[in-house]
Amino acid sequence: MTVSTRHLTCVAALAAMAVAPLAWAIAPSEINPARIEAAEQNPSDWLTYHGGYKSYHYSGLDQINANNVKNLEVAWIHMPGRSTRGLQTMPLVADGVLYYSGSYSRVYALDGATGKMIWSYFPQLDEELVSMQTHSPYNRGVALGDGKVFVGTVDGHLIGLDMKTGKEVWNTHLVDSKKLTVGFTGAPLVVRDTVIIGSQGGEWTSRGPLFGVDIKTGKKKWEFLTVAGTEEAKATWGNESWRTGGGGAWMPGTYDPETNTIWWGTANPAPLYDWSGADWQKSGPRPGTNLYTTSVIALDPDTGKLKFYHQELPHDAWDFDSAVGEFLMIDRDGRKLVVHPNKGGFVFVYDRADAKVQNVWRIAKNINFVKDIDPKTGELIGRRDLSLGKASDPLCPAIAGGVSWNAGAYSPKTGLWYKIAQEWCMDVDVVKTTPITEPMAQLNIGANFKLVPPPDGPARGHLDARDPVTGAKKWEVNFDEPPLASVLATAGNLVFVPDSRGVLRAYNAETGQELWSHYNGVGHNGGIISYSAGGKQYIAVPAGWGGMVADEFPALFGEPYTSMPKDAGALVVFTLKQ
Amino acid sequence: MWSHPASAVQMPMLKSITLIAGIALSLSRDLYAQQSQAPNQDQSAKESDIEGGTMFATSCGFCHENGGRAAGKGPKLAGTTRSDEFIVERIKKGKPGAMPAFGGAFSESQIMAILAYIRSIEE
Repeated sequence: MTVSTRHLTCVAALAAMAVAPLAWAIAPSEINPARIEAAEQNPSDWLTYHGGYKSYHYSGLDQINANNVKNLEVAWIHMPGRSTRGLQTMPLVADGVLYYSGSYSRVYALDGATGKMIWSYFPQLDEELVSMQTHSPYNRGVALGDGKVFVGTVDGHLIGLDMKTGKEVWNTHLVDSKKLTVGFTGAPLVVRDTVIIGSQGGEWTSRGPLFGVDIKTGKKKWEFLTVAGTEEAKATWGNESWRTGGGGAWMPGTYDPETNTIWWGTANPAPLYDWSGADWQKSGPRPGTNLYTTSVIALDPDTGKLKFYHQELPHDAWDFDSAVGEFLMIDRDGRKLVVHPNKGGFVFVYDRADAKVQNVWRIAKNINFVKDIDPKTGELIGRRDLSLGKASDPLCPAIAGGVSWNAGAYSPKTGLWYKIAQEWCMDVDVVKTTPITEPMAQLNIGANFKLVPPPDGPARGHLDARDPVTGAKKWEVNFDEPPLASVLATAGNLVFVPDSRGVLRAYNAETGQELWSHYNGVGHNGGIISYSAGGKQYIAVPAGWGGMVADEFPALFGEPYTSMPKDAGALVVFTLKQ
Repeated sequence: MWSHPASAVQMPMLKSITLIAGIALSLSRDLYAQQSQAPNQDQSAKESDIEGGTMFATSCGFCHENGGRAAGKGPKLAGTTRSDEFIVERIKKGKPGAMPAFGGAFSESQIMAILAYIRSIEE
C-alpha cells in the first residue's frame, strides 16, 4: 500500500480538494494533439483509453516477452480504497507518471516506477443522487491533454485537473443528473482542443447526449443528442417516444485524424424490450427505427454535427447496443476500415469514409435474436421480435451480451485481434409497461428475464485470436466464466487476459499457449496497459470486481463469485525480476 | 396466500388500490408515518402505474430476475422472510453499492403495489 493512513485521513477531510503534491520528480512534456496522434510511435506512454486513436490496446514494448514473461513479479500495488462495484478503470501513463480513476470518480497520479503518490483528487459528489443510480459509482478512466487530466463524474460533471498538482482548473456541469439519475462513468476523449464525453443511458428515460467541451476553458461547445438528434431521426420515433428514448454514449469512442471524424457507439433505446412484435414500425412503446440508438455515429469534433452513421440494429428490441467504444482502425489492400463489435455478438467492418458496411461476422456462437446479418449491407435477416408474454425459447445472447464493453487488443505484428466473447442466453417474459412520457429517475426495462446456459453447453467465455476484417480464427482459449476485463497485446508476442476469478494470464500471441499467470486476489473488471518508466517495462492492471455483468456471476457460477467482495480494489503493477 | 396483484390493477381508482394494498399487507397508516423519507406524492398516476407487476418489470426485474423468482444481479425475492417494513425501506433507500434508492422516483402507492407484487410471487 503506497498511501499512508495520515494521508488518507487528510484526503477524507478535504473532499473536493486536491492534496498537495508530495513530489514532482518527473518532468512532463506537453501533451499536444500531435503527440496524441502519434501515440502508437511512443510505447513508453499510454495516452488514451484505447492506447491511441487506432484503438489497438497494443504496446510496442518488448522488454517483457514470451521468453521471459515467466519472470514477471509484482513491482508495486496501489490501493485506492472505497472501490465500490469494482475498479473498472483504464490507467493512462505520460512521461513516467501513471494516472487512474477509481469509484466515486476519484483520480490518482502516481510515480510509474514506484507507485508513490504524487497527488489525488476526490470530487465532492451529490451522495444522495449517487444512491439513486443503478450503474454507479464506478469510473472507467480519465483523459490527458493540454496540461490537464479530465474526469467525468457520476453526478454529471466534467472536470479538468492540473496535471502537475491535481487542482481543479475547471468544472463544468453538463447533465441534470438529479432529473435523469445518469452521469458519466466512461472516460473522456481528447481531440485537439475539445474534450468529448458521453453520458450514461440506455434503459433510462433520457436522450443520451454526447458533449464537446473546450479544453482550455471547460465551456460546452456542442451537444449531440443520440436520441432524435436531427429532424430525420425524430421522425423514427412514433408517438413522440423520443422524449424518453434512452440512447446514451457511455464508452469512449475514437478519432480519425485523416478525416477529422469522431467515431462513437450509442446505447439502446428505452424501454429495452418491446411487446409490439413484428409490428414495431407502427405500434409498441417506441414505434420506428429509433435513430440514433444502437448505432455508430461519425461526428465533426469541432461542431458536433453528424457526418454519417450506421444503425447496427434498427429498432433494437434486445438491448444489444453499440456502446462498445472499440473502433479498430485497419488499413488493408488500399482500404481504410474500422472494426466495431456490437453487444449482440456480431462484429461490423466499415469503410472509414462513410460507415458503409464492408463485412459482418459473428464472434459469439449462440445467437438467435436474428438469423443472420447480411455481410454486404448490414441488413438484419430474420429478426426475432419478441411479443408480449413468455418467449418460447431462450433469447441468445443474454442481456449481458455476446461481447461486453471491455476492449480487445490488436497486434500489428501478428495481424490478429484478441477479443473476448460470451456464451449465455436468457428466458424472457415481455411485459407491457406504462408509457413513460417525461424523463424521470427510473429504469425502463419492460421485461422479466433470467440468464440460462446456451444450447451448446455451459455459460462460458472465450478469447479468440482472429483476423479482424474477415473473422478468420487462428486460435481460441475457453474460460469457465467470461473474462470481463480488457485485453492487452504487446510486441513481446504476448497477450494478457485479466480473468474474472482474479488471475492475470499471459498467452503466446501466435499460438494461444499460456505462459504465465498470477492471482491478484479479486476479480478483474477494468483495463490493462503497458508502459515504460526509468528504462523498465511495466504491466498495470486494476483488480476489483462488481460491475453490472459481474453481478450476474454468483447466480450463474456460484463460488468464488458468491463471496467475492465488490468494494475492494487494487492497482497491481508488474515488471521483470532483476 | 395473497391474491395476485393483477386483481388490484383492475381497480379503477387510485384511492381504492391504495386502500386494498394497505389492508392486504396489514400495514397501518402508522407505519407510513414512521417512514423517514417523505413519499413522492403522485396524484396523476395512471391505474397501471400502481400495478406492482408492471412496475416490477419496468424497474426491478433488471436485477431481480424472472420477476423476482430467481437471483440475478439482485437477490431472489419470492418467499423472502424480510418484513414489509424492511422491504419498503430497502426500496426507498436502496443499498449502497448494490441497489439504487427509489424513494424519490416512486410514490408511496407505487411502493406498496411493488410490495404487494413481491408478496404474491411464488417460487
